[in-house]
Amino acid sequence: MGRILIAVLALAGLPWSAMAADNTSGYEIRYGVEFGFLKTSGYPSWTTGFVGKLRYDNDGAVFNRAFVDYRGRFGDTINVHMVLEGYDDDLGNTIDFTEAYVEWRPMPKSATRYRVKVGAFYPRISLENVDPGWSNRYTQNSSAINTWVAEELRTIGAELTVSRRPESLGGAHAFSASVAAFVANDPAGSLLAWKGWSVHDRQSRFSDKLPLPPLPQIQPGMMFDDQNPYVEPFVEIDGRVGYYVNGEWRFGKKFLLRAMHYDNRADPRAEENGQYAWTTKFEHLGMQTTLPGDIGLIAQWMIGSTVMGPVMNGAHVVDTEYDAQFVLLTRAFKGHRVSARYDHFEITQNDSTEDDNNPEKGHAWTLNYQYSFSDRIGIAAEWLSIKTHRCSWEYYDIPTTATERQVQLTLKLRF
Amino acid sequence: MFKIYRNKRLLLLLVTQLWVGPVLAGMLHVRVVGPDAQPVPDVVVFVQQNGSANIDAGKPAAAIMDQRDKRFAPHILVVQKGAAVSFPNSDVIAHHVYSFSKLNRFILPLYKGTPPDAVVFQHDGIVTLGCNIHDGMLAYIVVVDTDVFAKTNDDGRVELAVDDSASSYEVSIWSPRIRDAEGHLVQTVSGDAPGEMTFALEKKLRPAHIDRLESVAWDEY
Repeated sequence: MGRILIAVLALAGLPWSAMAADNTSGYEIRYGVEFGFLKTSGYPSWTTGFVGKLRYDNDGAVFNRAFVDYRGRFGDTINVHMVLEGYDDDLGNTIDFTEAYVEWRPMPKSATRYRVKVGAFYPRISLENVDPGWSNRYTQNSSAINTWVAEELRTIGAELTVSRRPESLGGAHAFSASVAAFVANDPAGSLLAWKGWSVHDRQSRFSDKLPLPPLPQIQPGMMFDDQNPYVEPFVEIDGRVGYYVNGEWRFGKKFLLRAMHYDNRADPRAEENGQYAWTTKFEHLGMQTTLPGDIGLIAQWMIGSTVMGPVMNGAHVVDTEYDAQFVLLTRAFKGHRVSARYDHFEITQNDSTEDDNNPEKGHAWTLNYQYSFSDRIGIAAEWLSIKTHRCSWEYYDIPTTATERQVQLTLKLRF
Repeated sequence: MFKIYRNKRLLLLLVTQLWVGPVLAGMLHVRVVGPDAQPVPDVVVFVQQNGSANIDAGKPAAAIMDQRDKRFAPHILVVQKGAAVSFPNSDVIAHHVYSFSKLNRFILPLYKGTPPDAVVFQHDGIVTLGCNIHDGMLAYIVVVDTDVFAKTNDDGRVELAVDDSASSYEVSIWSPRIRDAEGHLVQTVSGDAPGEMTFALEKKLRPAHIDRLESVAWDEY
């Protein structure tokens, strides 16, 4: 906690020194702290190096996160956005950045807008994590899709977005298209294939080392014994550039649709410093709408593949396909919010490599109620149940089908 | 409770217009309905008074385009040509307001509080506002070359005090929701009988601008 506090204070001091006399500069900082109590059941958490889908495996008090979301503005068109996350969980007591980028927002000269981001940022996928600090507005623990995005994906490169303002297309339709090129992020897919989908609220920071389950194939003398027992998701291994393209259409405040094609173009045979490169590709579809009764509906669907190793018997040594969807319903009442989400997720495999049986199938239910006393203080209660069948659990002599549950009471502070 | 409030507002409107209107004032009643015969609120209605003896209307009234909770308020503002509009920022965060509309182009450098200078709109037409920081912010300033203008109420109605000496009135309506051809949006009546006039729109309206708390987020932080 001490280190987290020091870093928070250090970042709070940063804008003062960065502020020029130029009065067109400025900054916004949002601080957040989330902690509470929980009761949980299931396997020891993946954060301890085992297979549990949830972040916590002990009942009692937990410190979920502290974050600082800094947005600096320099002159009329340059923005800097940095997010620092502090955790105190089984992966340690550290603080680090989750995002850090510069954005150029030239002044629009017509109904067409251009935005350029350079740095490290989340790809445009989540429709849940829309608040400062990439906080989930609706639930404490994010959907399987967005939990994976938080675990293993970060665009370290540049993104260009071109958008048409709504009034240019008749007052209601807004379109935008983004294209991004990125380096690093080559191990993305390791956790998805070897650990599987999860549902939690932990975002990986730039230097995080995320533990893998004790898989037979990464043990000494086995096929992937070069693999460290952990994944460093954001390292560069093969020197190749990945890309994504994303299109978005919004119709007033009634309907939003986004579609992405993502390919990290990693060389599946590259390995460096105990990390393998995984060729990770997916298609993503997200939609959001408001149903009668002002009930918000959000749904996302991701389908893709991640492969690693040389080709043997017509498939890469680890050759997996994945597919996940969720539907979330949410309703805000003055200060109150009620949300419910159903997640479905699946991994299949094309390889027949022994002792590396990665298929899984499962679903999760998440129910959340939150109340904001003010802009600064809120409470949330969340019930979460996730049922999974995962073949590789047989290696640990535990049932390959399990239901893990968690009830959590969280105090959310914002400054 | 709601009804009482609405009646009060109507009364206030009447009182204001009677008081402001010139001595020889008549009332022009305008109603705007959609193709489903439902009233259309928040439509700008403005009147050119042809042959009016009272052309000199004095200095156009100043107006305010506020920014609150990352939204412009009001969503649609009508002003007379030459009016000075100030852009106070009631949020704690900065805004960066601009318009790229052809004849009324301007940029207010990033600011908090009220910028020292108001923007004077010298050309009539639609001014589309945006904020370069919050891409979701959108508002319109409708600059009209007359001092007779107002917006329809929740019942799609508006009453305008007009000058009885005019030979005819050219009544125009505008809303970002309207899709009808421009020819449908202007009606002329003789000065003898201003009375009541209805604009019955033929095309389905675009969705209304929503300015209330919503269950899902539509604008990026």
